[in-house]
Amino acid sequence: MKKVGIADGGISEMSKRCAVLILGLIAGLTFLPVPRVQTAAPQEAGGEARKWNNIPPRKSAYTGKKSSSPAPRRDLSGIWDAAGLDGGFQVNGAFEHPALLPPKEGRTEGGREAGAGAEGGRLDETGIEHPLPYTPEGLAALKANKPSGPGVRQVPAALSNDPLDQCDPIGFPRMELFELRTIELVQTANQVLYLNQWYGNWRTIWTDGRELPKDPDPRWNGYSVGKWVDDYTFVVETVGMNSRSWLDHAGRPHSEDLRVEERFHRVDHDNMELTVTIDDPKMYTQPWLGLNKFPLHLLPSDFDMPELLCSPVDMAEYNRKFGNSALPATPKK
Amino acid sequence: MKFLLALALAGSGAIVSAPLFAHHGNATYDSTKTVTVKGTVTDYIWANPHVFLEVDAKDNSGNAVHWTIEAQNPLSQTEVGWTKRTFKPGDEVVVEIIPAKNGQPFGRFGVAGPTAGLATQKSLIVINGKQFKP
Repeated sequence: MKKVGIADGGISEMSKRCAVLILGLIAGLTFLPVPRVQTAAPQEAGGEARKWNNIPPRKSAYTGKKSSSPAPRRDLSGIWDAAGLDGGFQVNGAFEHPALLPPKEGRTEGGREAGAGAEGGRLDETGIEHPLPYTPEGLAALKANKPSGPGVRQVPAALSNDPLDQCDPIGFPRMELFELRTIELVQTANQVLYLNQWYGNWRTIWTDGRELPKDPDPRWNGYSVGKWVDDYTFVVETVGMNSRSWLDHAGRPHSEDLRVEERFHRVDHDNMELTVTIDDPKMYTQPWLGLNKFPLHLLPSDFDMPELLCSPVDMAEYNRKFGNSALPATPKK
Repeated sequence: MKFLLALALAGSGAIVSAPLFAHHGNATYDSTKTVTVKGTVTDYIWANPHVFLEVDAKDNSGNAVHWTIEAQNPLSQTEVGWTKRTFKPGDEVVVEIIPAKNGQPFGRFGVAGPTAGLATQKSLIVINGKQFKP
């Protein structure tokens, strides 16, 4: 083993040389049988039966494959995966406005620019390909939100005012427009229960025919009613969201007038598409799509969803160690 | 050369696994630099929002330096084969990180590049003389 030095000025040069070598060698080595737990089927990670903390398959394992059976009528129940970092993560913020963006070199399937935001980002949306149709109030609210996430508007964690940095609830619809990983849908006689892995969020979607409240007290996840518009399409309307939550990871704002429509369209037995429409006339001059026919894939019924929670004590420790301690030495000009 | 080969192997594994994005971005870190920290684990915390590792190391002049190094959240770390037992206090480790811009001994698992620090599995990690493989 070559002796390895600790951080000094020479490391940077060494890392550059290593990077070049790595790039050169990667092509030849990519097909070596390097063990990778992610590529294993959910039940077979590590070569043994895996009953707990299952990992969803990579999107490539099922993309383009036809389901063996048609969709059941008026049934959403099951555990649905959004392929997390293969598509469900919108770290630069919701990207679908005004519709699905055309394919472009450098953009991944999930729509984010390759590597975007890794270096820190811009503080407004000038130059973003499809800026949202902000009202003046919406634009001012956007600029007041300072995200620490790896998106185009990123600031160092210590300078951020992202509610998530204090373990505040993510709220709806940010739980769908940021790290969409795995959700479970449960149908009862008069409800659809929506269980979201990310920070353990659940919502009740009433299907008993009740109307949405007219002047509700704010709730982080709002008030939801749903109905079948055909045998395979379930439409959910949600109002009454607390305006302290953000819409997405880029700090897009919303007011308490926000209305969200979710359209769950079951394509076949294993596949569902989710379209999310954001309508908030206070902040945006027209409705826009947060997700547009976003694919969800049915997981095996014995899939054990790992836990992903936010502990305020752990978060405070994290902020102390990494946020505040790692403040820039001199403010950026 | 062994060292470089190990690096290349780690890199080739990362190409087929997408980078891990999480809640916190990289603005705090200098993603143009890879630093290799060699030292003794004093603590390993399996926590949200991010798992982290505490390491007693020495700088080039032999002075003691205590490093605090973050990974991603426990779920994302599970996906790349980490467990609560991956490290333990007393382990002798060699790990690649990107360092804090302000020069303080804080870092994030990762190597320099456009997705630096967002891809834990790109880091070389050697624990008690053995390269870590899940």
